[in-house]
Amino acid sequence: MPVSPRGSLDRRRFLAASAGAALSAAALPGCAASVDSGSGAKGAKETLTIMDTAWTKKDKQNAERELGMNLEIVTYDITKLNAMLAGKNPPDVVRGIGATDVPYFAARGLMADLDPYFAKSDALKPSDLAPANDVWRYDHTTKKQGTGPRYGMAKDYSQDCMFWYRTDMFEAAKLELPSDTEPLSCDEWLDLGKRLVKRRLGKVKVYGLSGTPLGGPLTQVMWMAASAGGSLFAEDLATVDFSSPEALKALQWYLDYAKADIGPSVVNPNPDGWDWPTYQANRMAMATDGYWFGGTIGGDAKISEVSRFAPAPQLGSHRISPCFSGTGYWIPKEAKNKDAAWRYFEWYFASKPAQDRATSGWGIPSLNSLRSKMPRDTAFHKQSYEVQQRELDYFSVLPVSPYAQVDALNAVLTKVLPDAVKSGTSAGKIADTLNSQINEQLARGKELVG
Amino acid sequence: MSTDQLAGADARSSMRAAVTRPGSTRTRRPRSLRARRTGAFYVFAGPWLLGFLGMTVFPLGYALWLSFTNSDGLSPNARYVGLANYREVFSDPDTLASLARTGLFAAITVPLTIAAGLFLAVLLNQPIRGRGVFRTLVYLPAVVPPVGAALTFKLIFDRDSGSANGLLDIFDVNGLAWLQDPYARWVLITLTVWGCGNVMIISLAGLQDIPAELLDAARVDGANWWQSFTRITLPLLSPVLFFQLVTQIIATLQSFLPLLIAVDPTPKGVGAVPQSNQLIMIDVFAQYFSNGRYGYASALLWVLFAFVMAVTFLVFRLSKGVVFYSVDPEQAKTKPRTIGDN
Repeated sequence: MPVSPRGSLDRRRFLAASAGAALSAAALPGCAASVDSGSGAKGAKETLTIMDTAWTKKDKQNAERELGMNLEIVTYDITKLNAMLAGKNPPDVVRGIGATDVPYFAARGLMADLDPYFAKSDALKPSDLAPANDVWRYDHTTKKQGTGPRYGMAKDYSQDCMFWYRTDMFEAAKLELPSDTEPLSCDEWLDLGKRLVKRRLGKVKVYGLSGTPLGGPLTQVMWMAASAGGSLFAEDLATVDFSSPEALKALQWYLDYAKADIGPSVVNPNPDGWDWPTYQANRMAMATDGYWFGGTIGGDAKISEVSRFAPAPQLGSHRISPCFSGTGYWIPKEAKNKDAAWRYFEWYFASKPAQDRATSGWGIPSLNSLRSKMPRDTAFHKQSYEVQQRELDYFSVLPVSPYAQVDALNAVLTKVLPDAVKSGTSAGKIADTLNSQINEQLARGKELVG
Repeated sequence: MSTDQLAGADARSSMRAAVTRPGSTRTRRPRSLRARRTGAFYVFAGPWLLGFLGMTVFPLGYALWLSFTNSDGLSPNARYVGLANYREVFSDPDTLASLARTGLFAAITVPLTIAAGLFLAVLLNQPIRGRGVFRTLVYLPAVVPPVGAALTFKLIFDRDSGSANGLLDIFDVNGLAWLQDPYARWVLITLTVWGCGNVMIISLAGLQDIPAELLDAARVDGANWWQSFTRITLPLLSPVLFFQLVTQIIATLQSFLPLLIAVDPTPKGVGAVPQSNQLIMIDVFAQYFSNGRYGYASALLWVLFAFVMAVTFLVFRLSKGVVFYSVDPEQAKTKPRTIGDN
């Protein structure tokens, strides 16, 4: 058997060296994590990494010029964000939905406390923040949203259970228009949807009602149960109870809605993922979307002429109009460049971009001082502004559990409900299944969060 | 026998002498051909090996470690849970159902895809006019990215605005909810088989490798087309078909297409994938990114890995006597060798 010449690399040594190199390579990002990427070399511009929806090249260049720093835009992807957070190498600024993201990430200690920055800021004063910004607060003692340090800020907000409707379709169906001041009952709302739907050969040609607000079926049941005077989550947010009379009533409404097949639901989801394409194509009579939806409608003269805004319907005697979004930005605790991230906050939330957003009608400004800039120049904008102003009296934030992501809880509902709707299973039985599966998830999360 | 051995001891000593400098007390040992070859091997294989260790072995090991914890990837309080995740995999009816569904999906789509690809390859191997154009057209779906193909299928099969129901509408037939149960699985199967162009192109290459004289001889002996196909073409093509069978099974068991044709292919929308399309990889994705159960999802992946290995091993065992390799008659001696023979 020939022997390897002395001095050559034998396979074992080579494999061992390769394994060592691979482990070193794996450890490198960890080492890199301790380096402040924001400082850069002397004279070099700092770079801020933002995880957000896609930016146009022009917007990016404008922002870079105004901020005097380079921006690296990472397209928002929750799986990528989780990986970056787990690797302790997160972006400097992250887009998020305050109402649903904050409890989960704050409870796990992943968000930076922004109170010291607010205290020092001349541009962003806590006294000027709209109450909707409280969705970005989290109290680690009570483990509840709404109080405690601020972990982010909303760019704007809406009351997501209000709805838009098409006057031309109501008139064609010879139906009375919904009131601008008095909310419909949920039963009346469902009945209108049934009258407005148009079908042909098993297909829905025009949806009567798109009845699920932002946040999916979970937030729908939360809203309706609250409107009926109850609560889906227990006081400590560690369990849900779909079997309580109020939650059961809300669940029954949703089952009736899905069975009626008058709009997108878990049984027949909207292929576009949101209401606008269908609404614009004259195929939807009522769309459950907050004030922000007026931004898209306002951009289409024909559609805005036949569109009106209405208060959130109510299931019981409690008139509430919750916000399930409060979309904005937050800064991860492990971000390398927090000071630059805060400069971005001040620029984005308080200067020209904020003023432009306020005048566009894409949501209610998150600073009270900008509310006067909301559009009122056309009949369409005037009507929606007035309805929105009155609705603010019923604004509420329904806290979600920090023990599981809302997406995970919605995934249980979207898995359980379609079969239940098709098989005609009773609401009581469905409630039991949902309680069992969701409470199991919440218990696992509670064990991890402590 | 190595080159050194072939060269003999005299040749080696003369080579050493040649590199000894006059007056020098040190002699440089020449690198043997074997050493140079070994070095070249490592130079070429090294980058791949490093990538393999860093991007495959390390993540696999990390996932193995995760599978023994209750980690959600983000919480600081994750702990070691032993084999609890594995016990749950084998006791969770949903997981077992998705494994069974995945097996059934593979059992339907793999034979269909291979049969469709072979059928098209045989057709396109005929001397017809415009053969190149037809080959290109049939192969085109295989080069469409899966995301694009899935999006197209979603648009075609949408209940309310899709062209499939639009076609039924012309004949006054009620539209179907194609992307929901119970039809969703057939849309998925169609989408999978639609990409049979890859199988076609490999089978076509195999067909063109079959010596024409064998087929001519069979014709002279009076064999009809079917007899030639089953007695000559198929046996000679069997190694190619076997390769495709193995790779198709592995790919199908890991299919991610159900999520791509879902309405919302994100962690938020994964729950809305119709039950009949809830394959094991969808379960894995949901557990990782929707439920945040990194530990359990990692255990699921390891179980899937074992499942794929077991199925592949079974396929290799079952292929004995069915797959024929063309070998030198001197080496074959008494019978054609099959993959199971040693």
